[in-house]
Amino acid sequence: MAGVDPDSVTEMSFELADGADGTVTVRIGGELDITNVDELGSAVQRALAEGPERVIVDARELRFADSSAIALWVQWAAAVPDLELQGASPFLRRVIESMGLTDTLGLKP
Amino acid sequence: MDVAKRLVGLPEDGTLVRDHAGVTMTEGESRGLAANDGARARGPREYAAAGVVLAVGLLVTAALVWISATTYVDNENRLLGLRVRDAGALISGALASTQTPLASGAALADATHGDVGKFDTFISRTVARSQFVSVSLWQLGAGQPRRLSMVGATPELASSPARISSFFAEAARAGQLGVIGLLQASPPRLGYAFSSPGLTGRYVAYAESALPANRHSKFQGTSAFADLDYALYFGRGQNSANLLVSDLKQLPITARHAAISIPFGTGAFTFVVTPHRPLSGTFAQQLPWLIAIAGLLLSLGAAVLTARLIRRRNQAQRLARSLERIAEENRRLYAEQRTIARTLQHALLPDVLPRISGVEAGARYETGVKGVEIGGDWYDLIALDEHRLLLVVGDVSGRGVRAAATMASLRFAIHAYAAQDDPPDAILTKLSKLVNVNSSGQLATILCAVIDVEAQRLTVTSAGHLPPLLISNGTSRFVQSEVGVPIGVQTKARYSSVSIDAPPAGTLLAFTDGLVERRGESIDAGLDRLKRAASTNHVGLEDLLSRLIEDVRGGAGDDDTAIAALRWQA
Repeated sequence: MAGVDPDSVTEMSFELADGADGTVTVRIGGELDITNVDELGSAVQRALAEGPERVIVDARELRFADSSAIALWVQWAAAVPDLELQGASPFLRRVIESMGLTDTLGLKP
Repeated sequence: MDVAKRLVGLPEDGTLVRDHAGVTMTEGESRGLAANDGARARGPREYAAAGVVLAVGLLVTAALVWISATTYVDNENRLLGLRVRDAGALISGALASTQTPLASGAALADATHGDVGKFDTFISRTVARSQFVSVSLWQLGAGQPRRLSMVGATPELASSPARISSFFAEAARAGQLGVIGLLQASPPRLGYAFSSPGLTGRYVAYAESALPANRHSKFQGTSAFADLDYALYFGRGQNSANLLVSDLKQLPITARHAAISIPFGTGAFTFVVTPHRPLSGTFAQQLPWLIAIAGLLLSLGAAVLTARLIRRRNQAQRLARSLERIAEENRRLYAEQRTIARTLQHALLPDVLPRISGVEAGARYETGVKGVEIGGDWYDLIALDEHRLLLVVGDVSGRGVRAAATMASLRFAIHAYAAQDDPPDAILTKLSKLVNVNSSGQLATILCAVIDVEAQRLTVTSAGHLPPLLISNGTSRFVQSEVGVPIGVQTKARYSSVSIDAPPAGTLLAFTDGLVERRGESIDAGLDRLKRAASTNHVGLEDLLSRLIEDVRGGAGDDDTAIAALRWQA
């Protein structure tokens, strides 16, 4: 087939954990990009509808995130009082810094 | 169906894409085509092959049946031959028990000169344990033989003086047991005479034995011949008049049989046997039938299977052709999508770059290799007045028509704000009211750079965008400003600009992340690559852009890439 499969979905996995203290932890692994960001978005949307105090995005297993992934996290950040991005790789951290979103995404130094 | 799914999985933004109905129609068409193919391909070829298989199967079956049947018949005949020879040996053995008492009686009469008393005494004991019904002693001489003595019934032969004379003469001449039959008594009898030539030849011991009633008798159940039916004839041949005894009612035997002629004194017996069940076993008898039935069933099964396999293969071929058609259609649609996306993309970008004195401008837009959808990257150049030029590069997150629409509205809004002479930081603040990530899920990073060739000042403002590269005197550096949040994060975002002295001659390069971003490496690596590539020898602006696209972006190019450049000479 000529060209590249337009529907190839990048490999990504995630896991939602609802803490008792109103904290939702979203563990994401693999590569998160435009092809699979909606899948994660709709899953987390349900958890956000419960009105958690805090969302922790655990990105330790995340190898890559594109701008649509970052846009999704910014949406989450706007939806809850407190969002913290943990375990971001230096690459990801650098992209977020370059976009001026360090504070928005609760990226700790 | 993967291909169909892929087709359905094309961009969700309906206007550019053939919808599900298109796919269904394609499938429907191909099904129709397959049905036509089926009607054409079905028939002779399938059934001819199945027929050949059936014929071969039947031939093989027939050969096996013939071999097993022949083997069975051969075995039966061989076994029957062995059995009839065994029986013949037994009958030959009976000669002694018939001949010995008569020979002894004749010898006794000879030795005692015809002592009738001694003969009777001797022969009475014999008659008691033998099959004889009548034993008599005869004296030969001139004229008719004369009967000296008789034990048991009257000899039947005595009623025919002519026969008795010639029979005794022949028996005396032969020097062995003379046998005569059949004597018409009720029941019929056989006669035996013995006159030893070694003796004086004057005495003949004669005996008669009676045939069983109706000449019918069975072997005893324990006999070695219990599995055979038989017929015993007097003489050589199966003349029914000479039948001695049989256990059958229907004679002569026409079924599979074996016969043997057994010399008995001067006469002979013919013994015929027929098995009443197969000698080599019932299984051996049934085997040809079993082979025939199994072979027939297997042949039919193989023929049906062949027809089915051929039909399956034809179906698979038809399916493959249908799939190929769908794939072909998919390729065509995919190419069409790409063409539409590129056309629209270029339509949304400025087709003529503004010119001001002393500034050369250039720009490139490269579609990512994944680009079936329109992207959200753009560049723009706006002449603010005769000596100031605004360079804009932006990137809306996501893809598709929604991203393109946001991109277009941002681009035109920038034109409007620039026209009312807003500085870049104010432009960006105003733009942040237009996009909201919470409602649209979109962010936009935008870089604004203003070059004032008269004042030789360069002003840079960034909403979450990568810094521009300033190249002068063969070296290059990124112009870092304070990076504000991308458009869409906050509705009232504040932006600040950095303003530096512009070198008298220089090139400013703004770009989207597609140029420097690669999976699995830091964005800094891409920025370094760009810096090195841009620092090489002085080349024309268009050549520089081409080289950057080629060398920095490289083959990775997943993402769309926009580059815009200004080159000025004071």
